[in-house]
Amino acid sequence: MKMEDMPLSGPDNTKLEALVHDIYSELVEDACLGLCFEVHRAVKQGYFFLDETDQESMKEFEIVDQPGVDIFGQVYNQWKNKECECPNCKRLIAASRFAPHLEKCLGMGRNSSRIANRRLASNNNMSKSESDQEDNDDLNDNDWSYGAEKKAKKRKSDKNQNSPRRSKSLKHKNGELGSSISSESYKYNYNTGISYETLGPDEVRSLLTTQCGVISEHTKKMCNRPSLTDADAVVENDSFDIPDGQMLMSRLQWEDSPDISPTDSASSKASTNHSESRKPKKKKRTSLGLNSGGSGSSVGGGGGGLTGGSSSSSSSQSNISLSTKKKRPKLSAPSITSIYDDLN
Amino acid sequence: MTPFLDVFCTQTDRHNVFYPLLRQIMNKDSQMRAAINQKLIEMGERERLKELLRAKLVECGWRDQLKAHCKDVIREKGLEHVTVEDLVTEVTPKGRALVPDSVKKELLQRIRAFLAQHATL
Repeated sequence: MKMEDMPLSGPDNTKLEALVHDIYSELVEDACLGLCFEVHRAVKQGYFFLDETDQESMKEFEIVDQPGVDIFGQVYNQWKNKECECPNCKRLIAASRFAPHLEKCLGMGRNSSRIANRRLASNNNMSKSESDQEDNDDLNDNDWSYGAEKKAKKRKSDKNQNSPRRSKSLKHKNGELGSSISSESYKYNYNTGISYETLGPDEVRSLLTTQCGVISEHTKKMCNRPSLTDADAVVENDSFDIPDGQMLMSRLQWEDSPDISPTDSASSKASTNHSESRKPKKKKRTSLGLNSGGSGSSVGGGGGGLTGGSSSSSSSQSNISLSTKKKRPKLSAPSITSIYDDLN
Repeated sequence: MTPFLDVFCTQTDRHNVFYPLLRQIMNKDSQMRAAINQKLIEMGERERLKELLRAKLVECGWRDQLKAHCKDVIREKGLEHVTVEDLVTEVTPKGRALVPDSVKKELLQRIRAFLAQHATL
């Protein structure tokens, strides 16, 4: 700082201005020095002139400024219109859709299995609903939710009408229908849209002794889970006569909705047995133990099965407690009650 | 030799009279300056101003210009023998001159604002 530069007198403003300028100069000098140090270091370390290339390379990588081409000289949508042949299905697919198509086609990728399963499910429903239109109308009147779901299902399956996979799976199913047990289940799925009404007692019995038989509200499919107490069920059901389908249905009803009381003692009798045979996984015989403990009657017992009419009320009560204690999440009460409401 | 010093010819005069006088006059200002500088640093304003200036200089191409000038200097002096002092003496004046007016104005504005807010005079 020189003496001449220093204002010894005068307003503070000039002093302030001078100060401001000085501070500014200091900042600029800092910036310059910073640059000098950087450059000097680069020179001494040998990387200062690295960014300079020879003329030839410069020409090669010059920025391109032509229409239809990016700055590197590449064409933008060169491969857009090309088609590739899928190695799996031998179809010609557009290039941009090739990767997702392969994913679905080969059955790899995250969603392909999900979509396939969903398609199969809706195809089952489609075939079922297509064949029994009239009966479904009746049901639609009674239970609106049921009907709405049917409509939704229809719409969804309509979407897949034209896909190749749909025709594939349909053909597949038709071929199998006559042959295996699974076909039998398809047949029953087909029929349970109407309800157990149309099945004869023997058919129902054979069906229910091998499978779970619960109709899901959502998919309208019968649960195919094999009942584990097949052997036990056989023993019990020997002495167990099902005079008509109604008893069976109330039996099922009783199992799933404990708040609905049985209409007659016969049905409660049926329900006793049914509940016993129906709880294989959790407590095979302790359920019976509970029964006998609770009611004090000869309700339990694996051998005899049928109880006397006198113990019907107490047994019904114990059954209520049983059912409430062991509610199975899979069995959907509302759908079954809705079907049987119709009959009642 | 400044005109002031001519008045006080002898050494002793200079040391006993002039310099203290000068120091007294300068002290106030330098004290103020020192105080302001200290405030600038303490409040982080100096750092912010520095960053602002650097960013603006890069943006306006000042840095690249100056770097190109550095290259010339280096080529002139020879790659092996260039020193920091060479660079500084060659580059700083040019650097000062090359700062665009808009940047200069903005920075002065900010400094003035800071002083107006924080300087007690």
